[in-house]
Amino acid sequence: MFTRKFLPAFLFLPLLIGSLASAAPDSWQSLSAAQREALAPLAQQWDSLPEIQQQRLLKTAKQYPHLSHVEKQRFQERLTVWSELTPEQREAAREKYQAFKKVPADKREEVKQMIKQEQKQKAQRTDNTDTDTAN
Amino acid sequence: MTTKLDPGKVAQLLTQSSRQLDDSTLSALADARRNALKRQRVLSPVAALSTGRWTYNLVPHSGQQWLFTALLVAILIFSAGYWQHAQEQQISELDVAMLTDELPIEVVVD
Repeated sequence: MFTRKFLPAFLFLPLLIGSLASAAPDSWQSLSAAQREALAPLAQQWDSLPEIQQQRLLKTAKQYPHLSHVEKQRFQERLTVWSELTPEQREAAREKYQAFKKVPADKREEVKQMIKQEQKQKAQRTDNTDTDTAN
Repeated sequence: MTTKLDPGKVAQLLTQSSRQLDDSTLSALADARRNALKRQRVLSPVAALSTGRWTYNLVPHSGQQWLFTALLVAILIFSAGYWQHAQEQQISELDVAMLTDELPIEVVVD
């Protein structure tokens, strides 16, 4: 008797919990102040983002308060570019990043320095072109 | 030579002969009939669901078996949900690492 009465509840409880856990996030206006601060660069496009992307971004936003000042700056600078990628591009980027993390630390540092120098040279070239155009 | 059997006559003969049986034989026959009917009552609902002993064993019969099956299903669903949650957590940690790393994001983005 007990089993027959409560069997549906036993079966549907996990489904109910699962559906609540993956409930659709709310609109930009209904996000908390902390979430809005972390995801500020996406304020305009938030409501049009796919549900799964919103859920993932909300999870990343949870870690935002624990980041350093520089990390917070990087996070917000890169957020727009990141959200504009296709799911396949994001997946490919994750795979590349994981592969990069497996490279020995000294090699990784070398690559980082190389990239920094390249960026500096690029910035200098852009400055020179701007000065030439102004003259 | 063939004799055509009339079912009505056969039944009449059987009824007549059964009246001539002694009490102990009649009660043994009645017991056998009751046992046969009892067995049939147990097997008939299962026969509708299964084709053999293997499938018969798979179908829960008692309340306890149903409860055990329900718990097993609940555990399986919960484990699947937990595994998905862990995967999502791992992805979000990776995303934060990528978005905050010294390494410019352009290096990993095509």
